[in-house]
Amino acid sequence: MSAVTTSVLSRRGFLRSETLVPIVLILIVSVLVIAPLVKIVLSTLTVEGRDAWQAVLASKMSENLWWRPLWNTILLGVGVAAGCILMGGFLAWLVMLTDVPAPKTLGLLATMPFMIPSFAAALAWGALFRNSRLGGSVGFFEANSYVVPDWLAWGLFPTLIVLIAHYYSLAFTVISAALSSIGADLVEAAQVAGAKRSRIFFGIILPVVTPALVAAASLTFAGAVSNFAAPALLGLPVRMQTLSTRLFGMIETGQTERGFVIALLLIVVSASFLWLGERLVAGRKNYVTVTGKGGRTKRFPLGKWRWPLFGVAVVLCLLTTFLPALILTASSFALQNGSLFSNWTTHFWIGEGGTDMAQGQAGIFRNPVLIEALWTTLKLAVTVALTTMALGLALAHTISRNKGTLLATLLGQVSFTPILIPSIAFAAAYIALFGAPIGPLPSLYGTFLLLVLAASAHLLPYAVQSGRSVLGQISADIEESARLTGAGFFRRMGAIIMPLAIRGLLAGALLVFVKIVRDLSLVVLLFTSTSPVLSMLAYRYAAEGFMQFANAITMVILVLCVVATLLAHRLQNRVQKWKSA
Amino acid sequence: MSTTNGSSAPAIAIRNITKRFGGFTAVDNVDIAVPQGAFLVLVGPSGCGKSTLLRMLAGLETPSEGEMAFMGRTVSDGTRGLVADAGARDAGLVFQSYALWPHMTVAGNIEWPLKVAKWSKADRAARVDEVLGLLGISALKERYPAEISGGQQQRVAIARTIGPKPSILLLDEPLSNLDAKLRIEMRSELMRIHRATGATSVYVTHDQVEAMTMASHVAVLNNGRVEQFGAPLELLENPRTTFVATFLGTPPANLIEVRKSGDGLVYEGLRLADASRAEAREDAQLLYRAHDLMVGEVPGRPAITARFEEAAPIAGRTMVTAFSGGRRLTAMADGYFRAAIGDPIRLSFLNEPSAVFAMTGERIN
Repeated sequence: MSAVTTSVLSRRGFLRSETLVPIVLILIVSVLVIAPLVKIVLSTLTVEGRDAWQAVLASKMSENLWWRPLWNTILLGVGVAAGCILMGGFLAWLVMLTDVPAPKTLGLLATMPFMIPSFAAALAWGALFRNSRLGGSVGFFEANSYVVPDWLAWGLFPTLIVLIAHYYSLAFTVISAALSSIGADLVEAAQVAGAKRSRIFFGIILPVVTPALVAAASLTFAGAVSNFAAPALLGLPVRMQTLSTRLFGMIETGQTERGFVIALLLIVVSASFLWLGERLVAGRKNYVTVTGKGGRTKRFPLGKWRWPLFGVAVVLCLLTTFLPALILTASSFALQNGSLFSNWTTHFWIGEGGTDMAQGQAGIFRNPVLIEALWTTLKLAVTVALTTMALGLALAHTISRNKGTLLATLLGQVSFTPILIPSIAFAAAYIALFGAPIGPLPSLYGTFLLLVLAASAHLLPYAVQSGRSVLGQISADIEESARLTGAGFFRRMGAIIMPLAIRGLLAGALLVFVKIVRDLSLVVLLFTSTSPVLSMLAYRYAAEGFMQFANAITMVILVLCVVATLLAHRLQNRVQKWKSA
Repeated sequence: MSTTNGSSAPAIAIRNITKRFGGFTAVDNVDIAVPQGAFLVLVGPSGCGKSTLLRMLAGLETPSEGEMAFMGRTVSDGTRGLVADAGARDAGLVFQSYALWPHMTVAGNIEWPLKVAKWSKADRAARVDEVLGLLGISALKERYPAEISGGQQQRVAIARTIGPKPSILLLDEPLSNLDAKLRIEMRSELMRIHRATGATSVYVTHDQVEAMTMASHVAVLNNGRVEQFGAPLELLENPRTTFVATFLGTPPANLIEVRKSGDGLVYEGLRLADASRAEAREDAQLLYRAHDLMVGEVPGRPAITARFEEAAPIAGRTMVTAFSGGRRLTAMADGYFRAAIGDPIRLSFLNEPSAVFAMTGERIN
């Protein structure tokens, strides 16, 4: 056997790198995802835990602790899902399937609300509709001597509106992706068969997008039930509790076990609806390709309705994007909450402290706490963006390379588990695990590291998904043809894979950045004064009645989010010179 | 197992190669060898294992069993798990998808493998210009793959592969994404490049026309096995199985199932050949080429009635398809021939059958 010049690939070394990486990844995702969940379950099985279960589910208090919040939560979830499907579905139909003017601009506008934090809309609502029921300064309408009834100022109704205004763009994204996959051929085939427009809509289009409608409904439902900011700002002052505000209240007041029990119940509520949605569409092998750019799509003429419907769409989009931003900006300059457009002052932005304004507090850019929070937020968002994208890419690569093995299935399922878990409940699980020292390791509660771990774990499904889509754009042939030239692994990575993947990775990282910067429900439990972040600061100011400060900080967050999102959008869509237009 | 050096060793020797994916055998005990400069075509229907065989030659898959040697040098050994890395085989592969690197220009695509192979800058520049010229795409040098047509991408893919002067050139259905006219053009272009480079080529296709026109050696694969290996005309004239007999040749040849009756082989009561040709078997299949089956009566020759199906004019004659006993038959007619679908037409057997096969498919004589 004289294979002299043959380079021998050692099988053992090959095997080692092939199996070592997945095992390390399994360990990482277990610590990040599984361990906190196991720990929170265990924490509710102790003696105190069993008491907590009884207190929550079967005692005199359970009406207040569980049933009423559950009812409010479900009401919100169903209402938001229905509202989002109607509004997002209407806009998606308009943008994708009709000859409405400026569809691209409308599409961009409709995705904007999801970029900005949901508490922005809640704060804006307060700036307009706040009434005198709680004392303190009133909003724009009462200040201009309109009487605002309580149901319009506080509680379920405004929370519902604010959440729909936030989540409808999620529904829009999902539904319009499904609509874009309806090729013109499909519609034209129906036309040739003699079907009328309504027949085509109900017979062809609706059935094809039904899975997307169900998906949009369950996603917006899950988003609404786990949202903390809107019910906390608009509901808590009048004692409207949802499961997430209840959970927050329990942990804030030291009733940790009860908090954990509510967290577990919240997970069950949210996960069971997501599961139900999944079951409803299971069996139809109909996957929505969110990035898919279907071929030609058929556009129906709207006739005389073209401009009126365009007007309706523009108004809806402006009400949910520009109006909140406008109100927040005006409010942050307004001396008095109610008089939004007169007596403007820059005090809340750059004023010096020690004056008789705002109880002697300085403007946000002179406030060291805010400056620190700004840096902490940026540091957190950048760290999490980098770690999740690296982890997401490694996971996506390992899952696709080991496809079909038990290992890959396990990795896939574990890394997608956080989707089922509302972020505030996830934060509770992190407190359960890391709130106390583990062996020689100190308690991580209140540390920056804990924020990074929890946020990374929470965004893992998203990161793996974007890792997958980035890798999916690079065919195996492209890498193999580089391998045939004799280029080694690192050379292939550096010269072929990275140049093709870098934009997708950066865009994914920027969107993670946005998700962290605008997040409140995850950090609200993990926050301490040593690790302040912007969203938490805004929430605190709002809770204490300093609306101008809260609104000014929210504007800072909003600007960060919009800039990062537009940048990501450009990275993803800019015509690369090697791609044909 | 000794390895001979020098020109006497076959350029490519595939010895008892088997590839299994789990329980599925994709390539089953393939054993073929070709000399230097040969143009080996692996042809067969989709799923026959031809692409897997090519990927093993490229070093992208490891054989489960058997051995492969290039120029007497072992590159794969299934039993010992010994594999020369894909890049260390002195072989180039043209992908069906072309697999051009989208972020590099045409010149960049051709130059990069040379960089990896550590050519000097001057040598690289000269070679890039040379292969661009050879493929007639010098004008596209600075374009990106997305900015050129499919046929041009094809040329770039070939230029990139022959750039480092591999002694073995592997091509995976390279023409399948081109339109019919371009395909014929690129066929002769590929032949010209094959001659110009002097490389030994292995070409995978499902199109038997490509196999017949380009190959010096053809291996017909079916279900992972080599049905027959040899020169194209040899396979055409002496098919060893019914699969080869019906897969190769244009228009397709006819198989007629006959039964022994007395001393003759009979189809629908018509005696077609002497029973001795079936070597005492009760039934057999007779091979008739399309040009041995003539539309109309021919004095002294046996004829059957069939139902007309379609007619296609070819080079002044007409290729006629008709049905007889549920079987599709292809015959020729002189000049242009027309009939209505379902019309009864007479088909005459001009000659003795070209070959006789057993019902199981193997050749009797």
